[in-house]
Amino acid sequence: MLFGNATFFGGDPAIHGWAMATAAVVAASCALVGTLLVVRRMSLLGDAIGHAVLPGIAIAVLSGGRPGGLLVFVGAVAAALLTVWLIQGLQAAGGLAEDAGAGVVFTTLFAIGVVIVSAAPAGTHIDPACILAGDLTFIPFDTVAVVGFAVPRAFVAGTLAFIVLVAAAVVTWKLQVFTAFDSAAARAAGVPVATVTAGLLAATAVATVASFDVVGAVLVVALLVVPAAAAELLAHRLHVMALVAIILGVVGACVGYLAAWHFNTNAAGMIAVVLGLEYIAAAILAPDDGVFARAIGRVRLAWRVACEDRLAGVWREEEAARGRPTGATPTLLERCAAEWLRIDGSFVRDGVTWRLSPRGRREAETVVRSHRLWEAWLGRHADLPLDHLHPPAEWVEHHLGAAMRRRIEVETGWRQSDPHGREIPPESSSQS
Amino acid sequence: MTFAGLPYNTLVVAVGVAAVGFAAGVVGSLCVLRKRSLVGDAAAHATLVGVAGAFLATGRRDLATLLVGALAAAVAGLAALLLVRRFTRTRDDAATAIVIGVSFGLGIALVSGLPAWGYADSAGLEQFLLGHTAALTAADAVLLTGVACVATIVVSLLFKEATLVAFDAAFAAATGWPVLVIDAVIVGLVAVMVVAGLPAVGAVLVTALVVIPPVAARAWTDRMGTMLLLAGMMGLVAAVVGVVVSAAWPGLATGPLVVLAAAAIFGISFVAAPERGWIARRLRSVTRNA
Repeated sequence: MLFGNATFFGGDPAIHGWAMATAAVVAASCALVGTLLVVRRMSLLGDAIGHAVLPGIAIAVLSGGRPGGLLVFVGAVAAALLTVWLIQGLQAAGGLAEDAGAGVVFTTLFAIGVVIVSAAPAGTHIDPACILAGDLTFIPFDTVAVVGFAVPRAFVAGTLAFIVLVAAAVVTWKLQVFTAFDSAAARAAGVPVATVTAGLLAATAVATVASFDVVGAVLVVALLVVPAAAAELLAHRLHVMALVAIILGVVGACVGYLAAWHFNTNAAGMIAVVLGLEYIAAAILAPDDGVFARAIGRVRLAWRVACEDRLAGVWREEEAARGRPTGATPTLLERCAAEWLRIDGSFVRDGVTWRLSPRGRREAETVVRSHRLWEAWLGRHADLPLDHLHPPAEWVEHHLGAAMRRRIEVETGWRQSDPHGREIPPESSSQS
Repeated sequence: MTFAGLPYNTLVVAVGVAAVGFAAGVVGSLCVLRKRSLVGDAAAHATLVGVAGAFLATGRRDLATLLVGALAAAVAGLAALLLVRRFTRTRDDAATAIVIGVSFGLGIALVSGLPAWGYADSAGLEQFLLGHTAALTAADAVLLTGVACVATIVVSLLFKEATLVAFDAAFAAATGWPVLVIDAVIVGLVAVMVVAGLPAVGAVLVTALVVIPPVAARAWTDRMGTMLLLAGMMGLVAAVVGVVVSAAWPGLATGPLVVLAAAAIFGISFVAAPERGWIARRLRSVTRNA
């Protein structure tokens, strides 16, 4: 069998529990680190580090380190820092674009790692198949004693890594956030930006190496980036995003593991697939940024615009009865909006025709007022010909609040009429 | 029949893989100049799903069937990238990483599931992970050579347009060139070359075939045509070295060897190239400061 499959264990729940717990704890570490990588646009560096730690791990193991042991962590961190140093060196010394440099460096280091592993003497604690897709098969059986209990070594290492990463994140969070969102300002304020970044890269290496036995070098990018990217769609504050990413990572690891058990296949692959499904769900269903939410938002905006245009249209027709006529033909959507406004009570029947109710009139006047104030403001500040004032105002009228109307009124010197000479209706006293 | 100590089959395969290496270098140059170096990586990791899917759907494991599946999956991966870019606020780097991680995970899950789903083993599909030229036949080599020739011909026909878009897409668009179409052709060619490179280099490392030779060639020249030819030759040499060494060293996948050969060429270019090489630049800065 090329890859370790989850069903290898048969049905022993304790063994599966340990394997799943190990997957969950390393997923949590990766999600925490990945949050910062994603907001700093360093996702592909995470991918590169995932590949590039392989030679570091391989050399450490050949020098007598145990998987999950300290020497292996040191080797991986060194390899990660070397990767970034090489990419930045190529960028600075050779003018190589970052993505091209990453493409050169991580493939080369990974290739070196594969050759070392392939050439290693038999019986070495590193399995070529494990490089690509991890291998949970032996994890539950390689145990150490923790207060009298036999706990898998990888779980202990993963938990320690998680605790260290959480502690580091808590201590340096403000520096990380400052650097992530405005590194220039952070540098100016005296934050050691290079050190903060190096710390993040070392943290990436630690999370990667803790996950290495579980997901391998290639799939670690899924644990690093996918939960964090999904969390970014769901949360707007960085610490909330980190928390959501950790939850998504842990849920993905557990569900993915169970799915692998059920379908009798590789756990790391299924974990990546479940994380991908989580991302798709977040992209579609996220309350503010989801595809659904934004589609609904667009429809609601279009509907509000249609209603307001119709109200304003009727208001102008009534105004035109006293002056110049307007020639706007309502669109289909606006005619539907007009039907709704009749039901809604903004229009009332007046014999055979419809006219604005008092409430409809207030709303219409607000729209027309916004429109003409904007025209007045443009006429004053933008130096546009008269016939160019209407189209922008036709759009902006739907987006001006009372406070903005007030400011424009002050700015334009309390004008009573727009540049076309039509009266600007006064602000209605009771706004709905 | 042998030549220079290599069996006939190894020679034929070496010719096929050399053609792929050449075409990948040529096509990759366009991609690197267009600053899309890692697009090929997303396509490459997605191919595994297609290889497994084609095997599951048809039950056949001949190279043509599997590579058609791989190409379909590569295109699907790139389409997923476009969808994420279009419909979410996830940034490009994260979107690429998502496609790489999730599609490769699905591919691994499919390949690993084969034994449990009634297939005797993983059907040799794992050779597409790190490349394994020893398993290729002469007919496969002919197929790869054909694909490589077609890709090279397309690039030579599109040379002027691709040059324009690679160096100044805004100008190209302003003067009425269909930049989107040309971009799509470039990315499509990269997907084709990534798929053609799969049997020799494998999904994980095949991106090196379209990135390293162009970057190395760029150090030697400022002329587009020269760069394409040079990148092609470097890709060719790397591919041949990989095939020959792996034939002599069984148990080692071909992909890493091809990559290491390409990396050696890159290292030499980066240090020793005239004008842009590290030594030349050191010398210039020394003479300037003297």
